[in-house]
Amino acid sequence: MSLGQPNGLRWSLVVALPVAVALLAIPAVVTDVFWLGLGITVLMWAALATAWNISAGLAGGLSLGHAAYFGVGAYTATLLFLRLGVSPWLGLLVGAALAGALGAAIGAITFRLRGPFFVLATLAFGIVVHIAAVNWRELTRGAAGLLLPFGGGAQNMLFAGIAPYWYIGLGLLALTLGVTVAIRRSQLGYYLVALREDEDAARALGVRVVRCKVAASAISAALTACGGAFYATYIQYIDPSSTTQFEISVQIALVAIVGGLGTTLGPALGAVVVVPLGEILRAWLGGGPALMLYALMLIVIVLAAPYGVLGLLQRLVARLRSGRGPRGAAQGSGGRA
Amino acid sequence: MQLTLQILANGLLLGGLYALLAVGLTLIFGVLRVVNFAHAEFMMLGMFGVYWVWRMTGLDPYLAVLVVTPLILLVGIVCDRLIIQRTIGAPEVTVVFATLGLSIFLQNAALMLWTADIRSVTTPYSAMVLTPFGLRVSVPMLISFAVAMLAAAGLWLFLSRTLYGKAVQAVAQNREAAALMGINVRRVYLWTFSVAVAAAGTMGGLIAPLFTVYPRVGMSYIVTVFVIVVLGGLGSVPGAVLAALLIGLIEAAAGFLFGAAWAELSYFLIFLAVLIARPQGFFGRRGAEVFAGR
Repeated sequence: MSLGQPNGLRWSLVVALPVAVALLAIPAVVTDVFWLGLGITVLMWAALATAWNISAGLAGGLSLGHAAYFGVGAYTATLLFLRLGVSPWLGLLVGAALAGALGAAIGAITFRLRGPFFVLATLAFGIVVHIAAVNWRELTRGAAGLLLPFGGGAQNMLFAGIAPYWYIGLGLLALTLGVTVAIRRSQLGYYLVALREDEDAARALGVRVVRCKVAASAISAALTACGGAFYATYIQYIDPSSTTQFEISVQIALVAIVGGLGTTLGPALGAVVVVPLGEILRAWLGGGPALMLYALMLIVIVLAAPYGVLGLLQRLVARLRSGRGPRGAAQGSGGRA
Repeated sequence: MQLTLQILANGLLLGGLYALLAVGLTLIFGVLRVVNFAHAEFMMLGMFGVYWVWRMTGLDPYLAVLVVTPLILLVGIVCDRLIIQRTIGAPEVTVVFATLGLSIFLQNAALMLWTADIRSVTTPYSAMVLTPFGLRVSVPMLISFAVAMLAAAGLWLFLSRTLYGKAVQAVAQNREAAALMGINVRRVYLWTFSVAVAAAGTMGGLIAPLFTVYPRVGMSYIVTVFVIVVLGGLGSVPGAVLAALLIGLIEAAAGFLFGAAWAELSYFLIFLAVLIARPQGFFGRRGAEVFAGR
């Protein structure tokens, strides 16, 4: 599998620089609140999916409990501000640290489990956190939710307009992508690739399997919590159904899978495809049918191209380079089932 | 004392209903090595099926189950052909998210067809209660429990006593060796999956006179059933039945002691503890938990 290789630093700079400039200029060009809001939502899901991918794509743990970390981030930042007046900028860091510790603990006990057992354990963990968020009313006010005051000021990460959130979201995405690239180039990254390819062989060569996976889980959790704190300050209202619910975990995974599990840019690309598509479908068909199509898309993607849109493209490029036609590549990628 | 017995009775009756759902889920895992996230959606389809047959024709819900179960079997065959067969041997991400996608699809299909309204089936005997030894036992609950237990026992007899059942067990033990012995593995997969989801449909039909029907009803069962099958050992049919009764008891007791929400939390914590301490469950074959998804 050649998904993990950084292909040509110079090339990626040539592409990345204009893209970065264009992204920074967007709020100046797009002033319509709907479109800019959609853009911010895309950025948030891109960051969340990229963070999930560190656990699922790099360390091979398909978590269905990431909403828990998202919720920990959102509730920590909100509660610290509401109860103690701590700025959400700081709350974001506290939430990330808390989720990171939780991610390490959960990683340590679940990463020994393989396959479906890991998935079920993370799912159960997510549901435990959700039940706690709904029922621990003294702390979370349960289903009533928590409201952040409007116009708390820049020092409290609460802006009147939405343009600043574009930049925060962009920063968040850059952070998650940066961490992904850094992990890939570090010793940890090479260990994780070795683990993914053949865990027993890697273990035999002296790779500390559990330690690597715990690190990946903690980093992934901390970044997801940053996304949660961002969501709380952007929407300025949180409740369990919008933060800790199982559907949030599924959506995070779906975005990453559609884009390309295990690739660097795939999960972010997935958000660019999935989030606007979801909005269009919902506006066009209504909630139920939109989710039906969503589900159908998920099934078709995992059956036909388990490594997502980017995985498909990369395989196509690889085939073209090795001199075979695109026809062969299309057939080759579909032949997994 | 009386109260304790009442809680025990309620728990066992509830657990018996879970058993039929759990047996199918554990069978699908044992044979196909697929965790069927869509399992409870087939139960939901069974509930709606019985509701509509009863509503349109006035047929008794327990007779309606006999009409609905073959229909769910058909849905199972279609799902197996279109989706499940294609996940065999695919990467883990495919196996997990294909059935998760199917679950979301069926839920929202039901939402679109039948709206989010909460519906219920009422019969002349809905409110009937037996009072053996001063206990209060709901008559429809007792009928459903008995039928569910009979169906689970029938499935178990089929698996252990018939040649077809032995073929299924052979595939569960070793796919390649079974194929070499002349067993048609694809066909075993097809029938295992569709019979197991039809059993889920039967269970849905049986509880239609007891509980309300709505498109997302599966959500409140699926995770409980995961807890049961892991507790009993993924792949073990007797384990699933015993664990179902146990979870029914825990739910009834903890619900009485701490309230429903915290009861749910309590068995999730048990679930996590079991996964961590003994992932093969109480009756599972050792080594299943290290299965890597291929």
